[in-house]
Amino acid sequence: MMTTAIAQPDGSATRAKAASMIEAREVFKTYRLGRVDVPVLRGASLAVGEGECVAVLGASGSGKSTLLHLLGGLDRVDAKPIDVDAANHVTYRGRAIEAMGAGELDRYRRTTVGFVFQFYHLLPELSVLNNVLIAAMVAHGRLGYMRQSSDLRERATDLLDRFGLAHRLKHRPVELSGGERQRVAIARALVNKPELLLADEPTGNLDQTTGASILDAMMSLRAETNQTMVIVTHDPATAARADRVVKLVDGKVATSG
Amino acid sequence: MYQALLTRRYLTSKIMPLLSAGAVMLCVAMVLIVWSVMGGFLNMLLASGKQMMGDVSVAWPIFGIAHYEQLIDDLEADPSIDRATPTIEAIGLMSLPTDESRQVQVIGIVPDGFDAVTGYFERLYWVHLDEPLPKDKNREDRRLTIREGFEEHGKTLTWPDVVRGGVEPAVVTGIEVSRFYRRRREGFIESRLGQILPGFEVTISVLPMNRKGGVVGTDSRKFTVANEFRTGLYEIDANQVMMPIGELQKMLQLDAQDIPDRDWIPGQIELGPDGVPRPVLPKAVGVQPARATNILIKAANGVSPDALEVEVRRIYEQWTQRYPDMGSSDGVPSVDRVSIFTWENKPGLKTFISAVKKETALVLVLFVIISLVAVVLILAIFWSMVSEKTKDIGILRAVGASRMGVAWLFLRYGLAIGVIGSLIGGGLAWTIVHYINPIHEWLGRAMGLVIWDPEVYYFSEIPNVVEPSRAAIVMIAGGVCAVLGALIPAVRAAWMDPVKALRFE
Repeated sequence: MMTTAIAQPDGSATRAKAASMIEAREVFKTYRLGRVDVPVLRGASLAVGEGECVAVLGASGSGKSTLLHLLGGLDRVDAKPIDVDAANHVTYRGRAIEAMGAGELDRYRRTTVGFVFQFYHLLPELSVLNNVLIAAMVAHGRLGYMRQSSDLRERATDLLDRFGLAHRLKHRPVELSGGERQRVAIARALVNKPELLLADEPTGNLDQTTGASILDAMMSLRAETNQTMVIVTHDPATAARADRVVKLVDGKVATSG
Repeated sequence: MYQALLTRRYLTSKIMPLLSAGAVMLCVAMVLIVWSVMGGFLNMLLASGKQMMGDVSVAWPIFGIAHYEQLIDDLEADPSIDRATPTIEAIGLMSLPTDESRQVQVIGIVPDGFDAVTGYFERLYWVHLDEPLPKDKNREDRRLTIREGFEEHGKTLTWPDVVRGGVEPAVVTGIEVSRFYRRRREGFIESRLGQILPGFEVTISVLPMNRKGGVVGTDSRKFTVANEFRTGLYEIDANQVMMPIGELQKMLQLDAQDIPDRDWIPGQIELGPDGVPRPVLPKAVGVQPARATNILIKAANGVSPDALEVEVRRIYEQWTQRYPDMGSSDGVPSVDRVSIFTWENKPGLKTFISAVKKETALVLVLFVIISLVAVVLILAIFWSMVSEKTKDIGILRAVGASRMGVAWLFLRYGLAIGVIGSLIGGGLAWTIVHYINPIHEWLGRAMGLVIWDPEVYYFSEIPNVVEPSRAAIVMIAGGVCAVLGALIPAVRAAWMDPVKALRFE
């Protein structure tokens, strides 16, 4: 089994317990708010092995979501980081995401990554089924989707059935509860069988019971498919369900274990 | 694939795209209606103008073309030519019974030949009608009650001579020349002065000229107006007077004349047969042939006026080689000097047609500019929709949609709005144009609104045909405008930062 060196806040390196699928190494990300540069990530590092479930725990504004966006190829690290000697890159199976062109990055998001967001982010005009299938349509293109239409619909229906939404296929998101919406969002993230599921506060907008049921569903799926997951949360209880917890403080990984 | 799905959903779930489609529909309908009506008006003018002058003319004004019968034989022997006929065109003065005088264009014609080339007989107005025109519900059209002889008088350019018996030469004037009439919306004319009909007498004066273009005197003769013609083209109907070519040749001294002996010395006296001294008159040493100033030519089926013009030039050049000793002033001008032109390029008419074409183009451009408002409107609506759909864009980008894919989503959306708006607009325009005359009548009855005044537009019917090619152009342009309107918002959507889009509130 391959192991990966993970940079620690004190500069030492540890070994990841699982083979590294995706790794953020000393990444920097700064956002510009008006005329002010606000550094969000200041050399954060994280390595996630194949089949591993890592929780990134941190307070609001600690850079958790930004780290998730970098891992998922939705955003890019700073071109000129504050620490010019820092590695400052994200790699997926050894391939630097920063080096990917626009097309390759789109393909990476389509086929390798599945996102789950705190606020569900469903398309309000589409039915539950179509909200799941839209990811398949994007991934397969017109001809590919038409060729595999029945298989993809079956997979989407199965996923929704698994999440207890079989009777809601034709409903619009506005007709669903928060927990149901999040389950649809998870089904959408999984419909293309991504290698990496990135969940940003998946239970952050739900009550405790519903949140727990969502986590149950995710963990159950993981147990079956060995799905690699990164879950960003500020809730220690949620983080406790993961294999490993990484704590992010002020844009850096404070503890990992 | 996802673009098609989202386009359908966006179209059916929001009022904004329907407003955009409505804007496209109105613009397409507006431009197509204006183009159809104004373009139809122009086509009617052109058709009317062509009907009185054939396809191609050969003109040698003032002096006239000698041996024109031979030229016509040569022309009619060519397979590209159906018929040819001589005419004489001259400026004249016409005095009416109301003591008014008009400057007119007097045209000497051979009626049968002129009809064969121009369809002149069909333009005669005072022809007995058995049935009233569709709009003439009260049967007020005078043609319902006139005797059938009027038509024959017009066709032969003659009028019964009640004193000496037989017939005398007569003229046929354009319906607008006398200004005795007023056009009725029902499609016929009525007299402003009571019961005036053809049969009134006019005096026509012309100015014969010598070979240097100088006036050698005036010739005035009285003629009866045997009938009137109506082409629909005001420039013709208000200015032209037809008379037998032989009469006009005599008046203009373009008829066959003796050539006097050049050795004749004026002032010589000789004794006459009765023994009485008399001046010695010049002897005729030959005959100067009669002349015609114009030859009107009708093309055979399938021959374009432009192609015919080329052929006529060739035949004319060959014809001049028969008369090597005759020059321009002898009535055989070279092909370089004589005017040979298609009906559209006839001096005077060309200017008028050009003016109407420019007016049509101007109105069209104005409406197209107004239609650009639709483009701006679609741009504004799409800009607002892209803002509203910012989160959707972020979601699509998160699941892997490319920038091009997102741009195409909005372009396709614009195209769908354009296609829907154009199709409905095209249908609306067709319906309005097709029923424009009943609609216009209803507007007149219900609100007293007369937009198409036949006294201004020459024609009593509003053109009501939508040409498919024009409809296609306008509808495609409608779709393109909608896509153009969506282009900038689509590019904006494509370049949106997905992280910012997902955080958009």
